[in-house]
Amino acid sequence: MTPLLIAQIGLTLFVFVMLLNSAAIMVYVERKVAARLQQRLGPTLAGPRGMLQPLADIVKLMFKEELRPAASDWLLFSLAPIISATCAFAAFAVVPFGGSTTLFGLVPDGLPLQVADVNVAVLVIFAIASMGVYGIVLAGWSSNSKYSLLGALRSSAQMISYELSYGMALASVLVIANSLSLTDVVNRQAGAWLGVIPRWYVFLQPIGFLIFMTAGIAETNRAPFDFPEAEQELVAGYHTEYSSMRFAMFFMAEYINMVTVSAVAADLYLGGWHGPLLPESLGWVWFLIKIAAILFFYVWMRWTLPRYRYDQLMAFGWKVLLPLSVVNLIATSAAVLYFGL
Amino acid sequence: MTAETVLFYVFAAVAVVASMLVIAQRNPIHSVLLLIASFGALSGLYVLLEAPFVAVIQIIVYAGAIMVLFLFVVMLLNAPHEETGHDLAVHPLLRPGPLRVGGVLAAALVVELVWALTAHGGESGAFPSGAVSSVAAIGRSLFRDYSFQFEVTSVLILVAMVGAVVLASRGPTGRAR
Amino acid sequence: MPALNHYLVLSAILFSIGTAGVFLRRNLITILLSIEIMLNAVNLSFVAFGRALGSADGQIIVFFVMTVAAAEAAVGLAIVISLFRHHESLNPDQFTALKW
Repeated sequence: MTPLLIAQIGLTLFVFVMLLNSAAIMVYVERKVAARLQQRLGPTLAGPRGMLQPLADIVKLMFKEELRPAASDWLLFSLAPIISATCAFAAFAVVPFGGSTTLFGLVPDGLPLQVADVNVAVLVIFAIASMGVYGIVLAGWSSNSKYSLLGALRSSAQMISYELSYGMALASVLVIANSLSLTDVVNRQAGAWLGVIPRWYVFLQPIGFLIFMTAGIAETNRAPFDFPEAEQELVAGYHTEYSSMRFAMFFMAEYINMVTVSAVAADLYLGGWHGPLLPESLGWVWFLIKIAAILFFYVWMRWTLPRYRYDQLMAFGWKVLLPLSVVNLIATSAAVLYFGL
Repeated sequence: MTAETVLFYVFAAVAVVASMLVIAQRNPIHSVLLLIASFGALSGLYVLLEAPFVAVIQIIVYAGAIMVLFLFVVMLLNAPHEETGHDLAVHPLLRPGPLRVGGVLAAALVVELVWALTAHGGESGAFPSGAVSSVAAIGRSLFRDYSFQFEVTSVLILVAMVGAVVLASRGPTGRAR
Repeated sequence: MPALNHYLVLSAILFSIGTAGVFLRRNLITILLSIEIMLNAVNLSFVAFGRALGSADGQIIVFFVMTVAAAEAAVGLAIVISLFRHHESLNPDQFTALKW
């Protein structure tokens, strides 16, 4: 066992635990920010300022009874939340969140802060995201309930439609970066133009960034695109029939997916761990700040915008977002060819 | 046994068992899911063959798009289970004539495959080093050497799209055509 | 180290399973799935041959096969849906309207 291997295993466990934590933190932040936006206080009782609220929620969910509809497909009903959670965790594996570190000299060769460095990382994220649909579809179908099925059908249609725009936005960045590896993409964004403006791709790809964020919100089924679980229409969508820990897994998967999309957005458009003032070894602080900003934006959107109608969502995805992203990709490619960026 | 060999046999076993279960299942939803498992195993095999791009495309296109389409249709048709029993006697392939022809064809397929695989006495050794696995090389070849074929596939996709819409849509009166 | 032959044998087994599915099953959706199995078996041989010859052509042909598979699935499923609307069945033996 070399120190590098041990460090890598440790890093993997660390990422896993931090993702679990991030879901818990997001539950708290979501409730607190929502409360503030609505001039309420939010959770205050559990712990100082209600900070132990996620812990209380987890304990409550663990001790709840595991319910299963009599007419459900037992195997698929149990499998669906597992697929959702697995895909959510797996996607983060290829996301780099910092430059390489020597862990205070313990690992002389340097340990890249990334679980797995794959040279087709962007495509891997895309592939795992497209597998996430199955968790939702199977949950909806195996529950054998009309609300679940409607939620599942809506969500799969929505995710397939927005995946295209998502992919096109990704492709535009890849054309500029000239690489499919996320680490390369981030490293090309180091430095600054004129010494002031950071070389982040958000300045080269403003439209791409907007498309990516919109499609990202739709991909993670968040408001204003939260049709799969639209409470007022579908009770709770695909997880209507779920309770206890199985429900918790869907809940967790949703928040972890948000974190992953934010991390990918930070890597692709906001320069990852590069930023002014802080030294390279503290890059992960920048990364956390960027993720936190994007996640706050997510929560802010949810409690500000009302939900669209379903046909509006589809029309928007196919008639506005997709053409726009195609035009953006063509324009980007033309610019790269012409200016030889 | 190197790790690669172990992985090959694991993936191969998953692919074969899942594919056999696909055709042994009565429930189409289970068939579709097992086929996705089989595609996952194939994707692992592509990684072993140093073709990571194909592996990822396999997941994105097959597992992520085509199989979702299948799942959608199965759910839309409310997963009708295959009728069993009542027409077993008249199964066209169980009549004596087709049974014999089918048996001959199946035997021919097996003989051909065995012959093709053993014609060289199984001497094909290990793969040469230096696989073409970079996406850039594949893209260059695809858009230079195969650019015409690439453009033709776009026409194919367009035709398929129009065909699917025309076939599956209901007429202006709202009734199925 | 698995060699070319291993992959070809696996491909042959998968192709045979797909063929058997097409012949034996009487559910249009399962038949379409069996065709996908056959296409994938062929893809596996293409990639394995490409690897053995050290060229990208194998992977590119897989690309085209996938395009055709997508087109085939879309049109095939559209036909399945419209047939199901008429006959309330997925059994190909039921579709004998042209036979009398």
